[in-house]
Amino acid sequence: MAGETLIGKPMPMTDARSKVTGLGKYTDDISVPGMLIGRILHSPHPHARIRGIDTSRAEALEGVKAVCTGKDAPRPYGILPIGHDEGVFQIDKARYIGDNIAAVAATSAEIAEQALGLIDVDYEVLPAWLDPREAMLAADNWIHQGKPNNIEKEYHHHFGNVDEALARADFVREESYFAGEVSHAAMEPHSTLAVWDADGRMTVYSSTQVPYYLHRTLADVCEMPMSQIRVIKPLVGGGFGGKSEVIPLEIAAGVLAKKAKRPVKITYTREEVFYAHRGRPITYMDIKAGLTREGKITGLYARVVQDGGAYCGYGPVTVLYSGALLGAIYDIPNVKYDGYRVLTNKPACGAMRGHGTVNVRFAVEAMLDALAHDAGLDPLEVRRRNLLKAPCITVNGLRVTSYGLPECIERVAERSGWNEKKGKMPPGRGIGMACSHYVSGAANPIIRSNIPHTTINLKIDRDATVTVYSGAAEIGQGSDTMQVQIIAEVLSVDPQRVRLVAADTDLTPIDLGSYSSRVTFMAGNACIDAAKNMRAQLLAGVAKKLGVDPAQIDLRNEQIFVAGEAQPRMNFDQAVAAALEFQGGLVARGTYAPPEEARGGKFKGSGVGPSPSYSYSAQVVEVHVDEETGRVTVDNIIAAHDCGRALNPLTVEGQIEGSVYMGLGQALQEEMIWLDGRLMNPSLLEYRIPSTLETPEIESIIVESMDPEGPFGAKEAGEGSLAATIPAIANAVFDAVGVRINTLPITPEKVLAALEAKKKSERVKASGNGGPAGGNGNRGGSR
Amino acid sequence: MSKEIVRLKVNGEWREVALPLNRLLLDALREDLVLTGSKRGCDDASCGCCAVLVDGVPVLSCVALAFSYQDCVIVTVEGIAAPGELDPVQEGYAEAGGAQCGFCTPGFLIATKALLDRHPHPTPEQIRNALSSNLCRCTGYMQIYESVKLAIERAESRAVAAGRS
Amino acid sequence: MTMPAFRLARPASLDEAVRILADGGPEAMIIAGGTDLVPNLQMKLFTPRVVVDLKPRRELSGIEFSPGRGLRIGALTTLTAIMESPVVRAKFPVLAAAVGTIAGPLQRNMGTLGGNLCLETRCRWYNQSDFWRTALGGCLKKDGPICHVAPAGKFCWAAWSGDAAPALLTLDAEVEVTGPGGARRMPLGDLYTGDGMDRLRLGRGEILTAVHVPARMAGRRGVYHKLRIRNSIDYPLAGVAVTMLVDGQGVCREACVALTAVNPAPVVVRDAGQALIGRRFEPALIEQATHAAISTGKPLTTSASTPVYRREMVRLFTRRALEELWKNGRA
Repeated sequence: MAGETLIGKPMPMTDARSKVTGLGKYTDDISVPGMLIGRILHSPHPHARIRGIDTSRAEALEGVKAVCTGKDAPRPYGILPIGHDEGVFQIDKARYIGDNIAAVAATSAEIAEQALGLIDVDYEVLPAWLDPREAMLAADNWIHQGKPNNIEKEYHHHFGNVDEALARADFVREESYFAGEVSHAAMEPHSTLAVWDADGRMTVYSSTQVPYYLHRTLADVCEMPMSQIRVIKPLVGGGFGGKSEVIPLEIAAGVLAKKAKRPVKITYTREEVFYAHRGRPITYMDIKAGLTREGKITGLYARVVQDGGAYCGYGPVTVLYSGALLGAIYDIPNVKYDGYRVLTNKPACGAMRGHGTVNVRFAVEAMLDALAHDAGLDPLEVRRRNLLKAPCITVNGLRVTSYGLPECIERVAERSGWNEKKGKMPPGRGIGMACSHYVSGAANPIIRSNIPHTTINLKIDRDATVTVYSGAAEIGQGSDTMQVQIIAEVLSVDPQRVRLVAADTDLTPIDLGSYSSRVTFMAGNACIDAAKNMRAQLLAGVAKKLGVDPAQIDLRNEQIFVAGEAQPRMNFDQAVAAALEFQGGLVARGTYAPPEEARGGKFKGSGVGPSPSYSYSAQVVEVHVDEETGRVTVDNIIAAHDCGRALNPLTVEGQIEGSVYMGLGQALQEEMIWLDGRLMNPSLLEYRIPSTLETPEIESIIVESMDPEGPFGAKEAGEGSLAATIPAIANAVFDAVGVRINTLPITPEKVLAALEAKKKSERVKASGNGGPAGGNGNRGGSR
Repeated sequence: MSKEIVRLKVNGEWREVALPLNRLLLDALREDLVLTGSKRGCDDASCGCCAVLVDGVPVLSCVALAFSYQDCVIVTVEGIAAPGELDPVQEGYAEAGGAQCGFCTPGFLIATKALLDRHPHPTPEQIRNALSSNLCRCTGYMQIYESVKLAIERAESRAVAAGRS
Repeated sequence: MTMPAFRLARPASLDEAVRILADGGPEAMIIAGGTDLVPNLQMKLFTPRVVVDLKPRRELSGIEFSPGRGLRIGALTTLTAIMESPVVRAKFPVLAAAVGTIAGPLQRNMGTLGGNLCLETRCRWYNQSDFWRTALGGCLKKDGPICHVAPAGKFCWAAWSGDAAPALLTLDAEVEVTGPGGARRMPLGDLYTGDGMDRLRLGRGEILTAVHVPARMAGRRGVYHKLRIRNSIDYPLAGVAVTMLVDGQGVCREACVALTAVNPAPVVVRDAGQALIGRRFEPALIEQATHAAISTGKPLTTSASTPVYRREMVRLFTRRALEELWKNGRA
C-alpha cells in the first residue's frame, strides 16, 4: 500500500462531465444521415407453429425499405456454445408472447409500426408450457425439439454425505422457498444502430455489456466475416446483466441494415425490454439443512427448479452458479444439489446482478435464521461458527484466496448494535442479518479457448498522452475510471494524462465483457501488466539517454529520478521524448488469464463457479411492520462488503449501495406477474422498482481483505452485496412479527395472511388443539 | 401529418421548428433540435428521465405536446450551465457519485436544479420528496443525496466568492 | 411507441373549445396536463381526430376562496398549486392531503385538477400497449368481446383511480361544467356514471371548468389514506377519504366517507357517514361504518393487488381515519 498515490482514493468517474452536461451519447442519441427506423414484429402467442409469413403488404407500403424474416438470417445463435437455439426471427415456432417473428426498416417509426400491422403470419396455436413444474413432466409438445421434458439442463452434485450429516444434526429443517421473477430494468431501454457503409462494412453501435460476443454473433448470423464488422459501445445506461447476452434487436438491426444497405436504428419500447428480459428466473427451492446444538451446520441439500423461459440463454450457467455458490460461503462439509433449468413459453431468463446466487442465498440464509431460532442461538453467532479458514479449497473445488467475511460480520454487528437490539426490539420492529458472496469473474470463459480474458494495449507518443486501448465495457459501474486510475498509478502520471479508448472492436483488443463482476479483477490486472511493461520501456529509454543503469532510474509523480539524487533529472514529457529517440512511439501490452489452479474441479458442471477470487458481504437490516396492513418498511441497511481493496472507494460504495437497492426491490416490491404466458406489468409504472421514498438509508462499510492475486488486492464490488439484502430483510420481518415469509417478494398481502394464520394457530393452541405454527402457508405460484 | 411552426426558447435561444401537431416535446428536443440530453426511459410518465424545466418548473417532456408549450422558456440538461461551465448541481453529481450510468442523471439534475432554485437549503425530507418522480436503478439514491449536498456547498461557496469580489 | 395522428386545436377562448369539442363529438378529446392522455394515446387506447389543448386557457386555472362563497378551483389548476395552496392546506386539509399523494412531484407539476377528476378508468387488461391488447384479443372496454375481470357479464369494471375526487366528495364539492348551452353546476358525485366503459356524465361539447367547495366546509377536518406499493408515482390501489365535524362534546355532527380505486367511480359511502351523526365515539359505530365501506367498495382483479387485500385495506383505512378524526379529535 505504501507509496500509492491514486489507489484507495475517491476518484470521480472520468466520464462524469459528459453525463452531467447531457453531451455524452448513448446509442439512441446517435443519428446518421439516411438512417432508417426499425421495428420488430412479436408473437402474440406463447407457443405457436409458424405456418407461413406473408410480408408483401408491408413491403408495398410507401417508406418501407426492408422487411426481414427468419429466411434472411436462418442461423441460430445463443450466448453459450451449447445453446444455439434462438433465431433472430423464428422460423418454425414462436415460443413466447413477444418472440421475434419479423422486422421492418422504414423512413419513420410511424411507417415501420404501420408496416408491422401489414405482415400476415399464419400461426397454428399450440398448448403452452407456463409452469416449470408441469413443463418438466411433459411427454410431448416440447418447446424445443431435442430437449425432452423441456429440461434445458440438470445437474446433480453431491459432496460429502448429506443424509448422514442430517441424521446426526440436532436440528433439521425442511422448507420450501420461492422467488418470483425479476428483471434488470436498467433505465436505458436497449438500442442498436447498424450502419452499412459504402465498402459493405457494417458498424454497429449498441447498448451492450459485451462487444466481443456481439461481434462474434453478428458475424455468424449476418454471415459476414468478423473483419467486416465493427462494434462500438457508446455510453450504456445500465446493464445489470440485461445487456450481457446478445439481445434480439442487436442482430435484427444488423440483418435489416444488411438488407436495406442503409443505417438502421432500433430502440426498444419499455415493454419490449421486458420481453427481451434475460432476468432472474422464477425459482422453486426445496432446502434441507441440519444444525448441531453448538451451531455447526452439518449438511445442506437444495433442489432447485428454475423457470428459464423459452430459450437457453445463460440458463445452464445460472443453474450451475446456484449450486456452486450454495454452500461455499461457509465451511459446510456435506452439500448436495439437484438443479433443473426448465424451458417454458415465456421470455428467456438469463444473467442478472448476482447471477444464480441471489435466490438460493435467500433460501439458505433464511433457513439458517430459522435453524438458529430452533437451536436458541443467535443467527449471527451461527455464521461465526461456520466460517471457512482461508486460504482453502471448498468441498466443491472453489479456491478461496482471501476471506473478509469474518470482518464483515463483526463490522455490521458492531455498527448496528446487534447485541443490544437482537430480540430486544419493540413490537413490530425487527432486526435481521444475512451474508452473501460472489465471484470476481469466471475462471473459465464460456467460449472455451486459451486466449487471455483481457488484453490491454498502451501507447505513448510525442504528445506524452498515455492512450489505453481496452475492450472492457463501461456500463456505469466505473470500469473506465478504474483502468485510468491503475494505469496512472503504475506509470506515476497524472490521471488527466491518460486517455481511454474503450469498447470499439476496430481499435481495442478482446475483453470478455462486463459480466460476472470480472472487470476490476481481470482488466485491472491486465492494466497493471501493460503499465509495468510500458514503464520498463520508458525507463529503459530514459536510462539509455542519461547513460545510467536502468535499475538506477525511478519515475515518481511524473518526474525522473536517478538513485541517490534529490532533484529530478527530467519531467514526464522529456522522458517520453527521450525514450522515443530510440524506438519511436511506445507501445505496450498487458494481459490477464486466471491461473490454472483457480479453474475448479473436474466433475460435470465444475467449470462454472470457479473464480480467481470471491467477494463477501454481511448485512444487518432494521424494519418495522405495520401489522394491520402487512406493510414492511425498511428503516436502514448496513452493508459490509469485502472487495479485497477499494481501488476507488467512491465507486465501490456506489456499487454496494446500488446492489443493496436492487435487493431491496426484489425483497419487497418487484415481480414480473404472469397470467397465461402474458406479462401483466411490462412497464415502469407497474413493475415497481423502488423510488426514493421506499429506499432507506443504506450505509456501506468497505472491508479490505487484500486478495493476493487481485489488482492492488482488489476483488469484485458490483454484485455480491445484492443477495444478502433479501434474506436480511426476511429475517428482520421474522424478528419483528414472528412470521417467516418464504416467498418473494414479501408483499403486504403475504405478511398480512401470515399474521392471520399465526393468530389463528395461536388461538387453536390456546384452546388446546396444538398444531404447528403457521407462517409457511405462502407457497409461491398461488397468486 | 402536416406541420406547423412551434416557437420555443430553449436553453436561452429562441428556436422555431416545423413539427407535426402530435409531436411530443421530448421528441422535438431530441430529434428536431438534436438536444439528446433528455432521455426516454419509459412510455408512461413514470421514470423522470425526460424532465426539463418549463418556465422554471420541472415537467416530464415525454407526455407534453410541443405545441402546448408554444412561446415557453425551456431548459434542458444541456442548458443548466453555459457551454464549458458546470452549475453547482452538475458539479455535485459529477463528483459525489450521483451519476453512475448517467441515463437518469439529466432528469435528476433538472429536478434538483428546480428544488435548489426554490429552496437553497432543503431538508433531507424535501430532497427525498423532490426527487421521488425520478427513478435511478444504479445508485440506491445515497450518492444522489451526497451529490445534492455537495451542490449546495458549491453554490454557497460560489455565493461567498461572488460576495467577496 | 408512436403517437397517433390528430389535429391539435388550440382554442382562443373557452367558447371555441366547447365548439370544437361539440363538433368533434366522440372523436374529440381534451388535453390538459397530458400525464393520463398521452400514455393512453401512445398505447392507441384512443385515436382521436382532434385534440383540444386547454393549456393556453389560463383563465381556467386559479384558486379563489372567500368565507362567503367558499372555494373555487379552476379545472386547469395544477395539482402542485393545490397541494401548496395555503388556503387549501389550512381550510381543506383532506384535499391537500389527497392531492399530495397523486403520482409524484413532476407529474403533479403537469397534472391538473380537471384532469385528475376526469381520469380514464384503469385496468390491467386495458392499460397496455396496442401489441399487448391485440395479443389478448382486446377487452370489453376496447376492441374485445369480454371483460377479463368478470367474463360472465357485459359490464366494464375498470377502476376509477383518481385521488382528488374522494376528498372532494367528502367536502360536498360541485363541479362547474361549460358546454354549448352555457355553464351548469352539479354535485361532483353526479359527474360519474359508475360504468368503467364510459365514466363521465358529460354532454357533447361539455368541459369541466371548475370545482366549488361550499363555504361551510372550510375548516373541516379530514384525512386521506391511500393504498399503493410505492410512496410515489403509483396510482391508488384503494383510497379512503374521510371528513368529520365533531362538536365540543365529542358528538359527531357530520361525517363523510368516500372511496376510490375500488369501483368504476369514486363513491361516497352513504351509510358510513349517516350512522355516526349525533353519536359519540364508540368502537361498535366504527365497526358499522367500516362494514358499510366494504359493502360499497367492490374491488376486482383490475390491478396487481388482490381484491381481498384491497377490501381489507378499505376497512382498515376507514377505521383508522375515523379514529384519527373522532377518538382523538374535538372540533
